[in-house]
Amino acid sequence: MPSKMFWPFTAAVLSLSAFLLLPGCTLSPTNPASSAPPVSVQVSGTGQVRIGATDQLKATVTNATNTAVTWQVNSVSGGNATTGTISASGLYTPPASLPTGNSVTITAVSVASPTASGSLTENILNPLPVVTSASTVGYGTTGTAYLIDVIGAGFVNGATVEVGGVSQSTTFVSATELNATYTSTTGQSGSILVAVDNPAPGASNSASVSTPLQQATATAAARFLDQTSFGPTTASIAQVQQVGLSAYLTQQFNTATTTLPDIPSPYPTQCATASYPCAESEWWQVALTGNDQLRQRVALALSEIWVTSTDTVPGEGMTPYMNLLANDAFGNYRTIMQDVTLSPAMGIYLNMLNSNKPATGQIANENYPRELMQLFTLGIDQLNADGSLETDSSGNPIPAYTEAEVEGFARAYTGWTFANANGSAPTKFPNNTNAWDYPMAAVEANHDTTTKTILSSVVLPAGQKAEEDLKTSLDTIFNHANVGPFVCRQLIQHLVSSNPSAAYVTRVAAVFANNGSGVRGDIKAVLTAILMDSEARSNDTNSTAVDGGHLREPELYITNVLRALNFASTDANPTTDYAYMSLSNYANNLNERPMRSGSVFNFFPPSYVIPATTLNAPEFDLENTASVILRLSLANALVNNQISGFTVDLSATSALGQLAASSPTQLVSTLNTLLMHGQMTAGMSTAIVNQITAITSNPAERVRVAIYLIISSSAYKIIN
Amino acid sequence: MGTNRRSFIRNAALLSAGNALGLRPFGALNALAQSSTSYKALVCVFLFGGNDANNTVVPYDTTGYANYAKIRAGLALSQSALLPLTPSPSFALHPSLPELQALYNSGNLAIVSNVGTLIQPTTRATYLANKVTTPTNLFSHPDQQQEWQNAALSAATASGWAGRIADALNTQYNPGSVIPMIASVGGDTLFCNGASTSPVSVSPGNLGNASCSEGSECTSQLATAQQLVSLSSGISLVQADNEITSNAYNYAAALTSATQSVTALKTVFPANNALAAQLKQIAQLIQVRSALNVQRQIFFAGVGNFDTHSSQLSLQSGLLAGMSAALNAFYLATQELGVESDVTAFTMSDFSRTFQPNSNAGSDHAWGSHHFVLGGAVNGGAMYGTYPTLSLGGPDDSGSNGRWVPSTAASQYAATLAQWFGVPANQLSAVFPYIGNFSSSNLGFV
Repeated sequence: MPSKMFWPFTAAVLSLSAFLLLPGCTLSPTNPASSAPPVSVQVSGTGQVRIGATDQLKATVTNATNTAVTWQVNSVSGGNATTGTISASGLYTPPASLPTGNSVTITAVSVASPTASGSLTENILNPLPVVTSASTVGYGTTGTAYLIDVIGAGFVNGATVEVGGVSQSTTFVSATELNATYTSTTGQSGSILVAVDNPAPGASNSASVSTPLQQATATAAARFLDQTSFGPTTASIAQVQQVGLSAYLTQQFNTATTTLPDIPSPYPTQCATASYPCAESEWWQVALTGNDQLRQRVALALSEIWVTSTDTVPGEGMTPYMNLLANDAFGNYRTIMQDVTLSPAMGIYLNMLNSNKPATGQIANENYPRELMQLFTLGIDQLNADGSLETDSSGNPIPAYTEAEVEGFARAYTGWTFANANGSAPTKFPNNTNAWDYPMAAVEANHDTTTKTILSSVVLPAGQKAEEDLKTSLDTIFNHANVGPFVCRQLIQHLVSSNPSAAYVTRVAAVFANNGSGVRGDIKAVLTAILMDSEARSNDTNSTAVDGGHLREPELYITNVLRALNFASTDANPTTDYAYMSLSNYANNLNERPMRSGSVFNFFPPSYVIPATTLNAPEFDLENTASVILRLSLANALVNNQISGFTVDLSATSALGQLAASSPTQLVSTLNTLLMHGQMTAGMSTAIVNQITAITSNPAERVRVAIYLIISSSAYKIIN
Repeated sequence: MGTNRRSFIRNAALLSAGNALGLRPFGALNALAQSSTSYKALVCVFLFGGNDANNTVVPYDTTGYANYAKIRAGLALSQSALLPLTPSPSFALHPSLPELQALYNSGNLAIVSNVGTLIQPTTRATYLANKVTTPTNLFSHPDQQQEWQNAALSAATASGWAGRIADALNTQYNPGSVIPMIASVGGDTLFCNGASTSPVSVSPGNLGNASCSEGSECTSQLATAQQLVSLSSGISLVQADNEITSNAYNYAAALTSATQSVTALKTVFPANNALAAQLKQIAQLIQVRSALNVQRQIFFAGVGNFDTHSSQLSLQSGLLAGMSAALNAFYLATQELGVESDVTAFTMSDFSRTFQPNSNAGSDHAWGSHHFVLGGAVNGGAMYGTYPTLSLGGPDDSGSNGRWVPSTAASQYAATLAQWFGVPANQLSAVFPYIGNFSSSNLGFV
């Protein structure tokens, strides 16, 4: 701020310099006699220019025979890329983007008397936007939501796309491309008029172009399914194309939970010694075959935020926990906080179950209270609305809570144990009934009733019941400003992109704070905001519009390939035989055995940065030079029908095999749509076509090699 | 210490140079010095979750034990079950550490007491008065794990101290190596990442090339697969994965070649022991150091579940038993390979745990801890640093629950290891940015 205020003053001093320096001139033998009138320079011009244009300036030199001048921009001869450049003849070309303060000082210096100069303040204006074309991709059955891709020139960060004169939510891609989302009126069809507004300084509108409203492409449908399911299939791509993205989302929101059945006691023979493989089998089966794909996908994401593990929780405790997350996946975040906190699985895992009021010489267990805040709701430091770290005046992060507050919460959460086997309230503590299907229940005699200070200076008064302390505690955490940005950024990372822009996080967190009807924490609204955001949809039309995406974590890698290629269990009764558990061995090799994280910090932490880069990419914590090789071996097993308990038909007589026999190009094109949203680069496609064309008289091998080359590539492993 | 051995090697090299001039026949000795004796390795064993050091090294004298037992109450170990340390009669080890007891008593294992993350010397008084800079986010697992590994103020520093050692020494010691100086058998960790170097990851027992079932097509398929990860995509994450994958192809080929005709170690490692499997893999990599053409290596192994907020007695007992057996087997393997004095293993962990028990038969996150250093070069059978005063709210407590303020910095502990490994004094501060704040950069345990 101060530098802006002083800038005009500095310019004035510069123009006076020839006079101010006169007393010293007598020391110089080359100066004219002191009696000669001083040389002066005046600069004239319009004083403003648009980026992309030029401005011709003129210098008038008086009291000197030699009227030549040299030109400077902000005191630099000839200027530079950040301030703009000026030619010897005074033609000024502004920089590619606005300079600091949106203006520069242009100075002409007399060649005859270098102490004489004149200046002019040149204001730089944003360019005039030009739209050359626009296209749309529809998201709804009758076409109510569209992504608009605008191509042109002169777009600046902050430009907005207008449809029929009305501004739309816009994402800046580059100076030549913008994306926006547009909601049409019901039944609207035909064409729309698209224009672009650049903001001040020099705010201006482009001319409009007309473009038709168009429905979802196979690419858009397949990308959407990669973000919202356990992998696109030929059938699901066709379905989304038919109904549109928005309608598919609505259908999925309205699809009931596929419930994981209780694991019987005594345990089934397939998991007689430990029940977790049976729970895994149930989960794989639902992920691969359930109709509630989005719900289960979100439940997986939630399970990687609210982490529990079969390291500690038995299988019969884990299936109700996963059902809880699936049931709550489209509800309110406060409900998730309540339900998870009282779930016996989390109770066992982080020790809130049977956490007794401390006796003399003891402290209350701090495990759940600390991680509830650090990992599930707030994060360890204060956040800005865009998810970035808030800092103090010294630039240091600000802790979101103190150790003393952790100790306060620890006492607030005492007194909870298993409900009775029929769900009724317990009368003893601990009450080790293993009633996994019911929320934990309080035994007031074992609840610490002393006063506690918790977050945000809230005090829990002495004498409150366990339920009262819990309600105020969770309400206080839920209403902390960190929750929206902290949770939304992670949900984006799980579903769309490891590195969302600050603006994207801000937009989604705003929906978390208020769904439009005054409700905080509405997950369905948050998911809609995440999935329909222009940053999530931009690459539907241009695979590199947003440099985003995320690594396909091992579980998703397996489900994607199995679903796309139509793998089937070889077991006649896969549900009752728990036949899907064999898949866990493959995931386990890649360090992601379902529901069995090594710690509460998940298989990979949200903050993970790829070594030697600044790229935040959580799933890459599992991607190293050892795991990469193991994944390649898995790719080999997949295409060679070596997955234990499963079969796939990639033979010469299969649909893909017949395609391979007739046209390697067509085969690769079909696989491109199914596995890579039709966004394989030309170089990759050519390399694969060449490789399999050289395989003669073995169509099945052509299919295997083509698929192997795709699923072994980084371009496939990154969901983008 | 290693001084005698190093100067011996240097002299041998000089004499060998003389031999080339026809002076003295010492060439054979020099070859021996370069091929085996000049090798050194550090092995980090990370105990994820925060091992309770209070029950790992326990006061054993009458007064000390009585005080310990009174405060620890339900978490106290029975004095009769403790394993006494002959050279340090006032202390004993957890009953699940018999192998470490023997190694300590035979002089091959040292204990460093009350060591933890620090930026500058810190006491209870200066900590409570906010007069010192302390590491960011004490008591938080990920932050304290990373600060042990990066020896920095916060988890934000993106390189680990081992990685920075590799940055400093790789060119000098491993100029022709076919894999990086650092190998992790315990997954990705900050510890291993340098500014200009990155580690190789090895999956224990599984270090070879990817499998291929396409017969004669395999060579050609591999070439095309490798070509695909060299294509530019315009997406940063694809580029990053391309790089990891390209390195993976190269390292797998190098490790396959180095290990294809190696004879199996005779040392028996305990079965069903994740740490033992990792340490066995490390021993096998050390075995083929000549083929890998490395003179300096740092290894990372890790084992989890030390976060004993409840049921601590039974949980920690099993974890320590596994660690003790695994470390012992590893030491025996280095003896079998004749490198027991060239390999130094050491433990790290998030933090110790509250001396005061909680109401769940467990303990909570704390700070200063006790750690083990193992190897033939170790000046073992001794405790280094200062054992804390076991008093709640006492002179070493950061609060009132027995979260000990460390009396020795993790940076001092690490710098001691680094100097043995070969980091010269003038590069120490580049690896350990805060080491200059402490009076000693070498604790003398190795």
